[in-house]
Amino acid sequence: MTDMKRRSPVVFPFEIKKTEPWEHWTVVTEYKSEREDLWIVDLSHRPRWDIQNNALSDLKPLDFAIPDTPGQCRLEKGVLINRMNRTQASFWQLTGERFEMPDDAAFTDTTDGTLFLAMVGREVPLVAEKLSALDFLDPTTTSPRLFQGPFAHVPCQMVLVDKSDDKPGILLTCSRGYAKDMVAAIMQAGREFTLKPAGQTAFNRWVESLT
Amino acid sequence: MALTLTCPVCGKRNGYEFRYGGEDKGPKPDGFGLTPDAWCEYVHMNRCVAGIQKEWWCHKDGCGVWFTTHRDTLKNLEVEASS
Amino acid sequence: MNRLKNKPTLRVDTAQTISFTYKKKTFKGLKGDTIASALFANGIRIFSRSLKYHRPRGLYSMDGECSNTSMEVNGIPNVNTEKVLLENGMQLKAQNVKGSPELDIMGFMGSLDRAMPAGFYYRTMHKPARIWPMALKQIRKVAGLGRISPDFRMTGEYDEIYPSADVCVLGGGPAGMAAAAAAAESGLRVILLEARPRLGGFFDYRQSEFSPGVPLHQHARELEAHLQKMPNIRVFKHTSMVGAYSNNLITAFQKGDENDDFEERYLEIRAHSVVVATGCIERPLLFENNERPGVMQIACAHRLTNTYGILPGKRAVFSIAHDLGIEAAVDLFDAGLDIAAVADIRQDAPNESLVAELAQRKIPYLSGWLALSAHGSPFKKVVLTTLQGTFEKKFECDLLVASAGMTPVTGPLSMAQAELSFDHHTGFFLPRSLPAGLFAAGRIMGLNDPQAIEASGRIAGLSAAAASGKTSETALSATRATLAGRPKADRGNNLVMAPVKGRKTFICFDEDTTVKNIKQALSMGFDATELIKRFTAAGTGPGQGGIPGHNLPLLVAQHHTDTGTRTRPTTVRAPLVPTLMATYAGTNHDMSKQTPMHASQKQEGGIMRRIGVWNRARYFSDDLSCRREIENVRTNVGMLDATTLGKFRIYGPDALKALQRVYVGNMSKTPQGKIKYSAMCNEDGCIIDDGVVAQKGENDYYFTTSTARAGTTVEWIRFHTRYEGWDFNMVNLTDAFGVINLAGPRAREVLAAISDADISNEAFPFAAYREFTVNGSIPVRVMRLGFVGELSYELHVPSSWMETLWEALAEAGKPFGIANFGLEAQNVLRMEKGHLIIGSESEQRTTLHDVGLGGLWDRNKKGTDTVGVVALEQTEQQDKRLKLAGFKMKNTDKPPKDGSIVVDDRIRGHVCIARYSHVLQEVVGMALVEDPLNEIGHELHIYEDECQGQLVSATVVPMPFYDPKGERLRS
Repeated sequence: MTDMKRRSPVVFPFEIKKTEPWEHWTVVTEYKSEREDLWIVDLSHRPRWDIQNNALSDLKPLDFAIPDTPGQCRLEKGVLINRMNRTQASFWQLTGERFEMPDDAAFTDTTDGTLFLAMVGREVPLVAEKLSALDFLDPTTTSPRLFQGPFAHVPCQMVLVDKSDDKPGILLTCSRGYAKDMVAAIMQAGREFTLKPAGQTAFNRWVESLT
Repeated sequence: MALTLTCPVCGKRNGYEFRYGGEDKGPKPDGFGLTPDAWCEYVHMNRCVAGIQKEWWCHKDGCGVWFTTHRDTLKNLEVEASS
Repeated sequence: MNRLKNKPTLRVDTAQTISFTYKKKTFKGLKGDTIASALFANGIRIFSRSLKYHRPRGLYSMDGECSNTSMEVNGIPNVNTEKVLLENGMQLKAQNVKGSPELDIMGFMGSLDRAMPAGFYYRTMHKPARIWPMALKQIRKVAGLGRISPDFRMTGEYDEIYPSADVCVLGGGPAGMAAAAAAAESGLRVILLEARPRLGGFFDYRQSEFSPGVPLHQHARELEAHLQKMPNIRVFKHTSMVGAYSNNLITAFQKGDENDDFEERYLEIRAHSVVVATGCIERPLLFENNERPGVMQIACAHRLTNTYGILPGKRAVFSIAHDLGIEAAVDLFDAGLDIAAVADIRQDAPNESLVAELAQRKIPYLSGWLALSAHGSPFKKVVLTTLQGTFEKKFECDLLVASAGMTPVTGPLSMAQAELSFDHHTGFFLPRSLPAGLFAAGRIMGLNDPQAIEASGRIAGLSAAAASGKTSETALSATRATLAGRPKADRGNNLVMAPVKGRKTFICFDEDTTVKNIKQALSMGFDATELIKRFTAAGTGPGQGGIPGHNLPLLVAQHHTDTGTRTRPTTVRAPLVPTLMATYAGTNHDMSKQTPMHASQKQEGGIMRRIGVWNRARYFSDDLSCRREIENVRTNVGMLDATTLGKFRIYGPDALKALQRVYVGNMSKTPQGKIKYSAMCNEDGCIIDDGVVAQKGENDYYFTTSTARAGTTVEWIRFHTRYEGWDFNMVNLTDAFGVINLAGPRAREVLAAISDADISNEAFPFAAYREFTVNGSIPVRVMRLGFVGELSYELHVPSSWMETLWEALAEAGKPFGIANFGLEAQNVLRMEKGHLIIGSESEQRTTLHDVGLGGLWDRNKKGTDTVGVVALEQTEQQDKRLKLAGFKMKNTDKPPKDGSIVVDDRIRGHVCIARYSHVLQEVVGMALVEDPLNEIGHELHIYEDECQGQLVSATVVPMPFYDPKGERLRS
């Protein structure tokens, strides 16, 4: 009998220390010799939904409010909601147990359609500026903020969190098929700063520090 | 590419993020009854304004929205509609 | 050689030596040396031989304005050694010499100049025509400087960054630094680019005073320290600007130092405003043998002494036209250089106190004199003359510091669309108008007074800040007042040429173009500077025009008795400085897509091919005819990874309207539990896509498209509904679902082994759509389609589950002979069924009718304004169109190649696909041929490349070739 496993498109070429089963996934909770200062984490297993509706601002999925203006994001209780345009938002469950998706036509489970990762650390903007002309450091933008644009020549949805802080982070999704080349491009750009992967535990800690 | 375009959702971006959708010709005329020449004229012929023209662009590498803007074709610069 | 020590201007570390090899010997230089300065310090005076005449060439400008000092460094040719810092272990080789630079056997070429007038290669060597190939071969051997082997491989990293800034300052001299500081004070983000490895510009090496007690070099370092304290200024040194484009896009290349990860990298900066403070280069003085080693520009001599601690000679003569020349003479005399005379073109306007310093040192000052000719190799004598050539004086010396004045570095300004016009007072081309967001400051405007230069920099910086919304009127007016109180722009010179005929007066060193050549071109009727430049090649070498500079247009203007106001410098284009191809290539991120089964397919012998952005398995063995794969699908069961198909959810109150707009069929007739096959056309009625639609719920549809259209379908639908204001939503699920095509007579048995769902033919017939789970947990959407002509299930499974499902099917399929099949096998299988692939059996001009799918168009659909139907109606009865025809070859030997043309008295079409079919034991295929040749029974004559006139023939037969009744796929 086959192993009933859901698989992530991301494989980091680094030694894993601890894993944990979760919802048929094998989630890496810790890598050997993780760095505190700069790291990247695979979040492809975290539930993500697309929400589209003509009166989007009126929706309150699981009692979470959807931001009003495209580009705005709201981070609350481990959930990040990003307003993409007049009729569309994305709902990313960063931490915690999986919510049941509301039984409403406005919702589509897009977890499997994208790669999802986060890079955290002071040098993240320097890594990003090698791969994208998007201005992540624009001092006039609030944080968290949604960027919809190219990263390593691939259209991505990216959320920048706390850019002025010691540990800014970029959460990124793009078409799942690009996972291998996207990770390779980011790891190469991050080599100069010793970018290494971290596990879910480090990520949960960071998300908690934000709220 | 030096050209920048202003996406109504994402703001000003590098021209390479967009796809050109042609001059704004307004909604399609009722095709039935038109001669093939007249239909071809509508589909393929353009005014090719040497100056400011209203155009459709799609933010394909970003939010995906279709929008119109004005561009000075002589300088290849996006301009305000009023200018 | 002894280096000067204890100079506060030194930028070399006398305590740190670096070794390098040249001419099989080891030499030593200092940390901070450029390769050129280190060679010069070791007594090297001849660095190379020139392109055409093999004349000896040496250090002239110090900034790489010509290729005099280009050498091969560590195997890389054409490295401009003046611009590269010396590193330990570097291996140098001279270029373009047979022998050594000092003893080049090709040196005799210099005496053949009469045989090589301007543009000689355009006018000789091809009469008679047959000698041209021979001449070409010989010219190729001698044209060019460096050599490279085709096997050479670059090493190192070549990176790229895209930083953003509010203000981008070009030039890290005093004006640039002042501009950067001023703009950054208001909190704006500033990027400063400086081509040299150090900031400081023309303050860096000078000991004269900025203000009482503060020499220029010290003030420059204080300015730099101030910049470093501001966190919102990013300074990029050793970074040359290469292009300026609209909307203030600046591109640049940076050379990495030993601490950097990269050899070189590309910068692309989008700024809100740009300050150009690129300063000046010197205007070369024109006289006979003006390019002899031993002749150099003022800043070159001055920097050799003050920056690198090397006295450039023993006994010098100066022939200058600017106060900087007098200042340098005084400074170098004090450092130990013996000076025989300082000739100055100017007869008025020199700085009186500077002239007095010469007198104090008993250095003869000749006002109204200039160099006429340089003599000796090695250089040993100069002849000076008056401006009119009335009298001459000879001087013995080993160094001639020669300069005709300054030339502003206007390249960046003209690239940024500034309009330049000639200013008679300064002798400069000055910007007459600047586009919005562009500011100029410093020496480039003709200023020479240090405090004026700094003030103009501040003004530019504050103005640039104002352009970003940070106005500071008080600071601006205060600085303007400061500037007003300083000396204005100096009076400069127009062209400065000694009264010579110019046979060996070089206006361009790189291309060995002389003043005589320019005169030849003019006499042949070339009157426009741009044409003369191209005809004589002046300015087209690696120096990028740094030596001809503004001399060329000014010389030409004299010929036309032009007042000079309409002359312009020759057009500059990116890149402003030459750079490595590797830097242009940058980091190569080839972003392609892989399906969840990629690694496993490869492991099982899959031979992958790129199709658009995707990697897909084309073959599963060395047999490229894929016979085993094909036969296994027809007899047992095969599995194909079809994940790349476009998949979409469309929902909302107006979702059906949107589908009706783009599909030619009537989509309201999509029965529950069944899929509807339809096509999309463009406004010419030409087929662009086909796919299936299934209804998942009310106003909720799931549809597929071809792989090629997956990226543009949402865009297409939104475009064709853009005026409607309809309420519908789309989600691109292409990557969200993997697709497994399970095909073959035993497919049902395999599926049954892993699912409890009722998949009998009654419960799940052909063209039905079902959703169920596999192994209890894996949700799948299943369609029964028949692309390859057998019983088949197209399983859409969430991507994260795909590998698990695949493994389960592979396991369950073992007893039934399950095996992989790839795209080529699929290609043949579907061909046997006469099923088309858009782009293969259709072209851009192929309509729905042409491929026999006109039946998909529902003519009764009203009010939907469906894209393509107008043209479908108009083209339906057109004749002479290329139409799809199935054919069978008369000969079963070998199929004609895909793309072969179909002919009779002219070309009538082409073969789309042809293959030997093992199941039919025939060669069959499909072609697009001009009607009426597509009718059953017609003979087609096929012409293949290299068939030498032997046509092969086929007969048009009905399709499908295999299982015409479709019994197998409906089983």
